[in-house]
Amino acid sequence: MREWGSDSSDAAALYVFAVCDAPDPALFADVPGFAVGGPLRGLRCGELTAVVQTVPAADFTDEAWQARMSDRGELERYARAHHHVVSAAAALWRTVPLPLATLYHGEDRARQALIAETERFRAALKRTADHAEWGVKVYAAPPPTDEPSPALRASGSPAGRSRPVPGAGLAYLDRKRGIQARRERRHEESLRVADTVDAAFRNVAAEVRRLRLHGPELTGTSRLQILNATYLMAENRADELAPLVRELRERTGAEIELSGPWVPYSFIGEV
Amino acid sequence: MTTSRLDVDSDRLGHDLVALVLTVVELLRQLMERQAIRRIDQGDLSDRQIDEIGTTLMLLDERMMELCEQHGVRPEELNLDLGPLGTLLPRD
Repeated sequence: MREWGSDSSDAAALYVFAVCDAPDPALFADVPGFAVGGPLRGLRCGELTAVVQTVPAADFTDEAWQARMSDRGELERYARAHHHVVSAAAALWRTVPLPLATLYHGEDRARQALIAETERFRAALKRTADHAEWGVKVYAAPPPTDEPSPALRASGSPAGRSRPVPGAGLAYLDRKRGIQARRERRHEESLRVADTVDAAFRNVAAEVRRLRLHGPELTGTSRLQILNATYLMAENRADELAPLVRELRERTGAEIELSGPWVPYSFIGEV
Repeated sequence: MTTSRLDVDSDRLGHDLVALVLTVVELLRQLMERQAIRRIDQGDLSDRQIDEIGTTLMLLDERMMELCEQHGVRPEELNLDLGPLGTLLPRD
């Protein structure tokens, strides 16, 4: 939903945080929004109201976002400001959160584009009413580190390298076969645990999104992520989640992280 | 991304290129190893043949480690993140 081209540097842009089913454009006086922009306000878009802020266009160009992407602290500040506004709106009204960095050239363009999407927003509001998003991440214990092979330990001095003794090749392949078999067993076990946990949550969820697994850059090397999913749960079933996580932890032995309730960012449909 | 933000550090580029080449070599080596293990499991190799193949693969493995050491490439760098497909080589 971004529309951005080259533009003069001191121009203003309109940042849209969320679309609400509010009866009238309300006041957001206590919520700061982005530090660089004007006050938050409501923008009437047909039957819905968008929560918007006028911001300096220069701070929200593609290049500015690109630079932010490579600076985690800076990106986090923007993401948190965005999330803070979305959460404040969702606490008051039925709300469709829009993705970070949704920008328009001005009020007219924003209104036009958002009105064109009214049907999708209506559907999202209906689907997510009295529901919240819950994140579930499952981690397996890290694999035990394999002992270095005797052959590799012995090859310490390159100068004195000679043809290995007979049988060394056999032993090497045996060891590799063992490693391979253990890796496959671990892999199958991880898939099984991930499916067990996912199936249990699907039972109580209205909708589910499987997300891409986080690699060790994000999780650290001490654990392996085997499920990263998010579920749309009815608010009146939220109490079932904690006992469910406890039960699954006992049943699978895996580390399970539950987070929520979140504004249902993942369940508003394609933007 | 604008060109002014491209990081053209030639040492870094050289290092990354070496790591990429070694990754491809390591991929081939691991594929040969898997193929060898598969053929052994099918039982169509004699013990002597198995030992020879194993010795060759073992020496290749050692040579890879030496090359990594010489070029300052850590073994865990020998991999490519293929996004939703996971990684090129098994991670552990």
